[in-house]
Amino acid sequence: MTSLALLFTLSAIGISETVYLVRKRIASEKPICPIGGGCVTVLASKYSKMLLIPNDVLGLLSYVTVSFIAAFLVIGVGPMFVWNSALKILVAAASLMSIFLTYLQWRVIRAWCFWCLMSAFTVWLMGIIILASAAV
Amino acid sequence: MKKTSFHILRVGLAITFLWIGVLIFKQPEAWEGYLQPWAAGLLPIPIAQAMTGTAILDIAIGAFLLFDFLPWLAALVGAIHIVIVLTVIGITDITVRNIAILAAAIAIMADSLPKAFTDKIMSWQKTEDQKNQDQPLEV
Repeated sequence: MTSLALLFTLSAIGISETVYLVRKRIASEKPICPIGGGCVTVLASKYSKMLLIPNDVLGLLSYVTVSFIAAFLVIGVGPMFVWNSALKILVAAASLMSIFLTYLQWRVIRAWCFWCLMSAFTVWLMGIIILASAAV
Repeated sequence: MKKTSFHILRVGLAITFLWIGVLIFKQPEAWEGYLQPWAAGLLPIPIAQAMTGTAILDIAIGAFLLFDFLPWLAALVGAIHIVIVLTVIGITDITVRNIAILAAAIAIMADSLPKAFTDKIMSWQKTEDQKNQDQPLEV
Protein backbone atom coordinates (compact mmCIF):
# COMPACT_ATOMS: atom_id res chain seq x y z
CA MET A 1 0.00 0.00 0.00
CA THR A 2 2.78 2.44 0.96
CA SER A 3 4.80 1.55 -2.12
CA LEU A 4 1.71 2.06 -4.31
CA ALA A 5 1.09 5.45 -2.69
CA LEU A 6 4.69 6.43 -3.50
CA LEU A 7 4.39 5.13 -7.07
CA PHE A 8 1.14 7.03 -7.51
CA THR A 9 2.75 10.22 -6.17
CA LEU A 10 5.79 9.86 -8.42
CA SER A 11 3.63 9.17 -11.46
CA ALA A 12 1.59 12.30 -10.70
CA ILE A 13 4.82 14.33 -10.51
CA GLY A 14 5.84 12.77 -13.83
CA ILE A 15 2.49 13.67 -15.38
CA SER A 16 2.83 17.31 -14.29
CA GLU A 17 6.35 17.66 -15.75
CA THR A 18 5.53 15.94 -19.06
CA VAL A 19 2.32 17.97 -19.43
CA TYR A 20 4.47 21.09 -18.98
CA LEU A 21 6.88 19.95 -21.72
CA VAL A 22 4.07 18.96 -24.10
CA ARG A 23 2.40 22.35 -23.62
CA LYS A 24 5.64 24.24 -24.22
CA ARG A 25 6.35 22.20 -27.36
CA ILE A 26 2.86 22.76 -28.77
CA ALA A 27 3.10 26.51 -28.03
CA SER A 28 6.63 26.58 -29.55
CA GLU A 29 7.92 28.18 -26.34
CA LYS A 30 11.20 27.52 -24.57
CA PRO A 31 10.78 25.67 -21.29
CA ILE A 32 12.31 27.16 -18.14
CA CYS A 33 15.65 25.44 -17.58
CA PRO A 34 16.57 25.94 -13.89
CA ILE A 35 19.78 23.85 -13.93
CA GLY A 36 22.10 22.97 -16.79
CA GLY A 37 20.79 25.33 -19.44
CA GLY A 38 20.74 22.69 -22.18
CA CYS A 39 17.00 22.00 -22.24
CA VAL A 40 16.42 23.56 -25.67
CA THR A 41 19.43 21.75 -27.17
CA VAL A 42 18.23 18.39 -25.87
CA LEU A 43 14.53 18.89 -26.58
CA ALA A 44 15.19 20.11 -30.12
CA SER A 45 17.64 17.32 -30.94
CA LYS A 46 16.85 14.48 -33.33
CA TYR A 47 16.64 12.16 -30.31
CA SER A 48 13.55 13.94 -28.92
CA LYS A 49 11.30 11.55 -30.83
CA MET A 50 11.02 7.76 -30.90
CA LEU A 51 9.22 6.30 -33.93
CA LEU A 52 7.81 9.76 -34.74
CA ILE A 53 6.29 10.07 -31.25
CA PRO A 54 7.76 12.84 -29.08
CA ASN A 55 9.43 11.54 -25.93
CA ASP A 56 7.32 13.83 -23.73
CA VAL A 57 4.14 12.18 -25.05
CA LEU A 58 5.61 8.71 -24.47
CA GLY A 59 6.55 9.76 -20.94
CA LEU A 60 3.12 11.21 -20.28
CA LEU A 61 1.41 8.01 -21.47
CA SER A 62 3.73 5.90 -19.29
CA TYR A 63 3.09 7.99 -16.18
CA VAL A 64 -0.68 8.00 -16.75
CA THR A 65 -0.58 4.20 -17.17
CA VAL A 66 1.47 3.76 -13.97
CA SER A 67 -0.94 5.98 -12.01
CA PHE A 68 -3.95 4.01 -13.28
CA ILE A 69 -2.30 0.66 -12.48
CA ALA A 70 -1.31 1.87 -8.98
CA ALA A 71 -4.89 3.07 -8.40
CA PHE A 72 -6.35 -0.25 -9.67
CA LEU A 73 -4.02 -2.20 -7.37
CA VAL A 74 -5.02 -0.08 -4.36
CA ILE A 75 -8.76 -0.26 -5.09
CA GLY A 76 -8.50 -3.99 -5.86
CA VAL A 77 -9.70 -3.96 -9.46
CA GLY A 78 -8.73 -7.28 -11.00
CA PRO A 79 -6.89 -9.03 -12.52
CA MET A 80 -4.28 -8.11 -9.89
CA PHE A 81 -1.56 -10.40 -11.30
CA VAL A 82 -1.80 -8.72 -14.71
CA TRP A 83 -1.59 -5.21 -13.19
CA ASN A 84 1.33 -6.23 -10.98
CA SER A 85 3.26 -7.69 -13.92
CA ALA A 86 2.37 -4.77 -16.22
CA LEU A 87 3.59 -2.28 -13.61
CA LYS A 88 6.95 -4.05 -13.25
CA ILE A 89 7.43 -4.43 -17.02
CA LEU A 90 6.46 -0.82 -17.72
CA VAL A 91 8.74 0.66 -15.03
CA ALA A 92 11.60 -1.62 -16.11
CA ALA A 93 11.21 -0.54 -19.76
CA ALA A 94 10.94 3.13 -18.76
CA SER A 95 14.06 2.81 -16.57
CA LEU A 96 16.07 1.33 -19.44
CA MET A 97 14.79 4.01 -21.78
CA SER A 98 15.79 6.68 -19.25
CA ILE A 99 19.30 5.20 -18.99
CA PHE A 100 19.59 5.35 -22.79
CA LEU A 101 18.29 8.93 -22.97
CA THR A 102 20.59 10.06 -20.14
CA TYR A 103 23.52 8.46 -21.96
CA LEU A 104 22.54 10.39 -25.11
CA GLN A 105 22.56 13.65 -23.14
CA TRP A 106 25.93 12.85 -21.61
CA ARG A 107 27.88 11.46 -24.58
CA VAL A 108 26.08 12.32 -27.81
CA ILE A 109 24.19 15.61 -27.39
CA ARG A 110 26.60 16.81 -24.68
CA ALA A 111 23.99 18.95 -22.96
CA TRP A 112 21.88 18.40 -19.88
CA CYS A 113 18.13 18.91 -19.78
CA PHE A 114 16.71 19.50 -16.29
CA TRP A 115 13.26 18.11 -17.13
CA CYS A 116 14.65 15.01 -18.84
CA LEU A 117 16.89 14.26 -15.85
CA MET A 118 14.04 14.88 -13.42
CA SER A 119 11.90 12.44 -15.38
CA ALA A 120 14.73 9.89 -15.43
CA PHE A 121 15.20 10.16 -11.65
CA THR A 122 11.43 9.85 -11.16
CA VAL A 123 11.39 6.60 -13.17
CA TRP A 124 14.49 5.20 -11.44
CA LEU A 125 12.97 6.00 -8.05
CA MET A 126 9.87 4.08 -9.11
CA GLY A 127 12.10 1.12 -9.99
CA ILE A 128 13.89 1.32 -6.62
CA ILE A 129 10.53 1.41 -4.79
CA ILE A 130 9.28 -1.68 -6.70
CA LEU A 131 12.54 -3.54 -5.99
CA ALA A 132 12.50 -2.53 -2.31
CA SER A 133 8.84 -3.50 -1.83
CA ALA A 134 9.51 -6.89 -3.49
CA ALA A 135 12.48 -7.48 -1.18
CA VAL A 136 10.54 -6.74 2.02
CA MET B 1 2.58 33.99 -5.99
CA LYS B 2 5.82 33.04 -7.70
CA LYS B 3 5.29 30.66 -10.60
CA THR B 4 7.41 27.83 -9.15
CA SER B 5 5.71 27.88 -5.76
CA PHE B 6 2.30 27.99 -7.45
CA HIS B 7 3.06 24.85 -9.48
CA ILE B 8 4.49 22.98 -6.49
CA LEU B 9 1.34 23.79 -4.51
CA ARG B 10 -0.89 22.87 -7.49
CA VAL B 11 0.74 19.47 -8.02
CA GLY B 12 0.81 18.73 -4.28
CA LEU B 13 -2.87 19.54 -3.91
CA ALA B 14 -3.67 17.52 -7.06
CA ILE B 15 -1.94 14.44 -5.60
CA THR B 16 -3.85 14.90 -2.32
CA PHE B 17 -7.24 15.05 -4.04
CA LEU B 18 -6.42 12.16 -6.39
CA TRP B 19 -5.16 9.90 -3.62
CA ILE B 20 -8.13 10.65 -1.33
CA GLY B 21 -10.43 9.80 -4.25
CA VAL B 22 -8.64 6.48 -4.79
CA LEU B 23 -8.82 5.65 -1.05
CA ILE B 24 -12.55 6.42 -0.92
CA PHE B 25 -13.07 4.08 -3.90
CA LYS B 26 -11.07 1.40 -2.08
CA GLN B 27 -13.17 1.46 1.10
CA PRO B 28 -16.18 3.78 0.89
CA GLU B 29 -17.66 2.34 4.09
CA ALA B 30 -14.58 3.43 6.07
CA TRP B 31 -15.26 7.06 5.11
CA GLU B 32 -19.00 6.88 5.81
CA GLY B 33 -18.25 6.84 9.52
CA TYR B 34 -16.89 10.38 9.38
CA LEU B 35 -20.28 11.75 8.40
CA GLN B 36 -22.31 13.29 11.23
CA PRO B 37 -25.73 11.58 11.70
CA TRP B 38 -27.61 14.82 10.94
CA ALA B 39 -25.72 15.18 7.64
CA ALA B 40 -26.31 11.54 6.70
CA GLY B 41 -30.02 12.10 7.27
CA LEU B 42 -30.06 14.96 4.78
CA LEU B 43 -28.69 12.84 1.91
CA PRO B 44 -31.29 12.19 -0.83
CA ILE B 45 -29.30 9.14 -2.05
CA PRO B 46 -27.81 6.09 -0.26
CA ILE B 47 -24.61 6.97 1.62
CA ALA B 48 -22.54 4.49 -0.46
CA GLN B 49 -23.55 6.28 -3.65
CA ALA B 50 -22.73 9.64 -2.07
CA MET B 51 -19.25 8.35 -1.19
CA THR B 52 -18.70 7.10 -4.76
CA GLY B 53 -19.76 10.53 -6.01
CA THR B 54 -17.32 12.16 -3.59
CA ALA B 55 -14.52 9.91 -4.86
CA ILE B 56 -15.29 10.83 -8.48
CA LEU B 57 -15.39 14.53 -7.59
CA ASP B 58 -12.06 14.30 -5.72
CA ILE B 59 -10.40 12.53 -8.66
CA ALA B 60 -11.83 15.05 -11.14
CA ILE B 61 -10.55 18.00 -9.06
CA GLY B 62 -7.14 16.31 -8.76
CA ALA B 63 -6.93 15.57 -12.49
CA PHE B 64 -7.86 19.16 -13.45
CA LEU B 65 -5.21 20.52 -11.06
CA LEU B 66 -2.56 18.03 -12.21
CA PHE B 67 -3.10 18.77 -15.90
CA ASP B 68 -3.23 22.50 -15.14
CA PHE B 69 -6.60 22.65 -16.90
CA LEU B 70 -8.90 25.37 -15.50
CA PRO B 71 -6.99 25.28 -12.18
CA TRP B 72 -9.04 28.18 -10.76
CA LEU B 73 -12.29 26.25 -11.32
CA ALA B 74 -10.86 23.03 -9.89
CA ALA B 75 -9.52 24.91 -6.86
CA LEU B 76 -12.85 26.74 -6.39
CA VAL B 77 -14.81 23.48 -6.50
CA GLY B 78 -12.17 21.89 -4.24
CA ALA B 79 -12.47 24.72 -1.71
CA ILE B 80 -16.29 24.50 -1.67
CA HIS B 81 -16.01 20.71 -1.35
CA ILE B 82 -13.66 21.02 1.64
CA VAL B 83 -15.94 23.58 3.31
CA ILE B 84 -18.82 21.10 2.97
CA VAL B 85 -16.58 18.30 4.32
CA LEU B 86 -15.60 20.46 7.31
CA THR B 87 -19.29 21.17 7.96
CA VAL B 88 -20.60 17.61 7.70
CA ILE B 89 -17.86 15.80 9.63
CA GLY B 90 -17.43 18.33 12.43
CA ILE B 91 -14.25 18.71 14.47
CA THR B 92 -12.12 15.56 14.31
CA ASP B 93 -8.44 14.55 14.30
CA ILE B 94 -8.16 15.45 10.60
CA THR B 95 -9.81 18.88 10.77
CA VAL B 96 -6.48 20.74 10.82
CA ARG B 97 -5.36 18.95 7.66
CA ASN B 98 -8.61 19.86 5.93
CA ILE B 99 -8.00 23.49 6.89
CA ALA B 100 -4.56 23.31 5.27
CA ILE B 101 -6.08 21.80 2.10
CA LEU B 102 -8.75 24.52 2.09
CA ALA B 103 -6.11 27.24 2.42
CA ALA B 104 -4.09 25.72 -0.42
CA ALA B 105 -7.17 25.50 -2.66
CA ILE B 106 -8.07 29.14 -1.98
CA ALA B 107 -4.47 30.23 -2.68
CA ILE B 108 -4.44 28.40 -6.03
CA MET B 109 -7.85 29.78 -6.97
CA ALA B 110 -6.82 33.35 -6.10
CA ASP B 111 -3.61 33.05 -8.08
CA SER B 112 -5.07 31.46 -11.20
CA LEU B 113 -8.29 33.42 -11.69
CA PRO B 114 -8.81 34.36 -15.36
CA LYS B 115 -7.32 37.76 -16.27
CA ALA B 116 -10.67 39.01 -17.58
CA PHE B 117 -12.21 38.37 -14.17
CA THR B 118 -9.42 40.08 -12.19
CA ASP B 119 -9.45 43.01 -14.64
CA LYS B 120 -13.18 43.39 -14.07
CA ILE B 121 -12.68 43.48 -10.29
CA MET B 122 -9.87 46.03 -10.66
CA SER B 123 -11.91 48.31 -12.93
CA TRP B 124 -14.91 48.04 -10.57
CA GLN B 125 -12.64 48.93 -7.65
CA LYS B 126 -11.22 51.92 -9.58
CA THR B 127 -14.72 53.16 -10.36
CA GLU B 128 -15.66 52.92 -6.69
CA ASP B 129 -12.49 54.82 -5.68
CA GLN B 130 -13.25 57.48 -8.30
CA LYS B 131 -16.80 57.85 -6.99
CA ASN B 132 -15.51 58.30 -3.44
CA GLN B 133 -13.03 60.96 -4.56
CA ASP B 134 -15.65 62.88 -6.56
CA GLN B 135 -18.04 63.09 -3.62
CA PRO B 136 -17.64 66.34 -1.66
CA LEU B 137 -16.56 65.94 1.92
CA GLU B 138 -19.36 66.57 4.38
CA VAL B 139 -18.44 69.05 7.11
